Amino acid sequence: MSIALRGITKQFGEFAAVKNIDLDVPTGALIALLGPSGCGKTTLLRIIAGLETPDEGQVLFDGRDATLWPIRDRNVGFVFQHYALFHHMSVFENVAFGLKVKPRRERPSRPEIRKKVHSLLELVQLGWAGERYPAQLSGGQRQRVALARALAVDPDVLLLDEPFGALDSQVRHELRRWLRRLHDELHFTSIFVTHDQQEAIEVADTIVVLNQGRIEQSGVPSEVYDLPTSAFVHRFLGQVNELPVQLRDGRAYVGPIDISPAADVSSGATNSIALIRPHEIEIGPEAVGWPAIVIAVRVIGPIVRLELSAQGLPVNEPLEAEISRERYEGERFSVGQKVGLRLRRWQVYPASGAVA
Amino acid sequence: MASAEARIAGRRPAPSRLLLIAVALLFLGLFLVLPLLVVFVQALAKGASAYVAAICDPVAWAAVKLTLTVAAIAVPCNLVFGVAAAWAIAKFEFRGKSTLITLIDLPFAVSPVIAGLVFILLFGSHGWFGGYLRVHHIRVVFAVPGIVLATIFVTFPFIARELIPVMQAQGKDDEETALSLGATGWQTFWRVTLPNIRWGLMYGVLLCNARAMGEFGAVSVVSGHIRGLTNTMPLHIEILYNEYNYTAAFAVASLLALLALLTLAGKSFLEWRQPELRHAVAQARDRTRRENT
Repeated sequence: MSIALRGITKQFGEFAAVKNIDLDVPTGALIALLGPSGCGKTTLLRIIAGLETPDEGQVLFDGRDATLWPIRDRNVGFVFQHYALFHHMSVFENVAFGLKVKPRRERPSRPEIRKKVHSLLELVQLGWAGERYPAQLSGGQRQRVALARALAVDPDVLLLDEPFGALDSQVRHELRRWLRRLHDELHFTSIFVTHDQQEAIEVADTIVVLNQGRIEQSGVPSEVYDLPTSAFVHRFLGQVNELPVQLRDGRAYVGPIDISPAADVSSGATNSIALIRPHEIEIGPEAVGWPAIVIAVRVIGPIVRLELSAQGLPVNEPLEAEISRERYEGERFSVGQKVGLRLRRWQVYPASGAVA
Repeated sequence: MASAEARIAGRRPAPSRLLLIAVALLFLGLFLVLPLLVVFVQALAKGASAYVAAICDPVAWAAVKLTLTVAAIAVPCNLVFGVAAAWAIAKFEFRGKSTLITLIDLPFAVSPVIAGLVFILLFGSHGWFGGYLRVHHIRVVFAVPGIVLATIFVTFPFIARELIPVMQAQGKDDEETALSLGATGWQTFWRVTLPNIRWGLMYGVLLCNARAMGEFGAVSVVSGHIRGLTNTMPLHIEILYNEYNYTAAFAVASLLALLALLTLAGKSFLEWRQPELRHAVAQARDRTRRENT
């Protein structure tokens, strides 16, 4: 089922949660709504689910206006961050719930229900847990039960609100991959909400970045990561170094480095900032580039993060650079060492967007 | 865990622990067990036959029946009201919500005597609706309806108060999930909400019932103290006591105490019979953990 949002606006008292949002979700897509807390991503998801009614705008399901459909008529599966399992029911009964509450005409027979629930529990690798109660399961297992329960009613759309937010990172990683595989197997349309850019990049086909109730940018993960259209998106999808752009003799500089072709000097580049990701800083011998001193070295698994104090750095924060573990093994940068910096890539934005 | 317990035990030497337990037991005995015992001892002071005679007195029996009737009407009324109010307050946002919460507490704040007087002012012969009721030959004050009304008023907050925090803590996730799975509102209530709140609900009903049977002040004002007709057990006990009929007073009092003990026993029985109770403990633990994160 395809979903389209047209001019969705929702206000909670004085607070505008979402403002005039248009979004198209094609059938079978797996979309991440990404943004900081309070950006309106959960509200948007709840409006699609029918748990909230928008003040303005339309929700279209396969082109039909579904704005005022009650949630039980929408055929959506909704998964909460805290699982919302029915604690007084066994795992089997939880998964069977959606089938057992169907009107008698549509309700499958008992053996059919049993068969379906067991196959779903197998699907989420919990075939052994049917007679257990939620309290006896771990967080990751509970979230899988919640997923099986949502899938039991064959939803056209699966909506997940921070589904892995309450889990520790190991389990989270596992479940992300598993959700991706499940989606590829079953071909439903999925929308999930997250504030974790890593999660969005890993799982989704399309990332929609939200900020203060508006869509900042949407696109495939690599595009949003590599070509952010605003300083907000650039900052939100990963680490950045922020440096003011300085004008000298009609050319633009970051520190001593000339970035003129990128910065539009004519249109008042005086008030611009350059954002550079840690892996976009090239570290070389002292003589070449911007002189700097290594002030900290941190080995993080496959990468090594260096903190650098660059000469005449116009900001107080040290620069962060990342190099591969292999390169570090070869060159052994140490604290106090003098190096030269070059910039491999950068993006320039007007500084008005600098204050997040 | 074990080492932590050992540490605590080690830090607090045995004598002080014994002292604490002794103080708690002494307090419990002095203020809870002893009075209850005194009631039964006094009731049986003049022998079993006097006790039986006091209880079999038709007037006493009428009081027992009236008390049970009033409780049987007031508790279900407040049950329905309490669940509805707690549901509305915990699960929905609406204008006037804080006013409603304050109003629910009103019977706790107001003296029961005033509660009784309110009904006299409303339904008494010189009250607002007095004329209408007289014309239609409906008796409210100094009759059973008045007693029921006063009891409902006084026991109004018990169930709602017990449920509101429980339902607020549980949030709306479970209900919203049930709805998204295609359940109707009614199915959601019976299959999801009610099981989630059953312990709180039971406790609320228990408190409500205890108060409904034991209420004195408000009922005393509206009852009119007509023996065998509008005397509830507490009123009957007081009359007997004022007539220096101690044995009979304590005999009826022992019955009232027995009713209270029966409710408690009923609660324990229900708890014992629920197979999932063993999960309820884990559930509560899980919920606190969830709230702490």
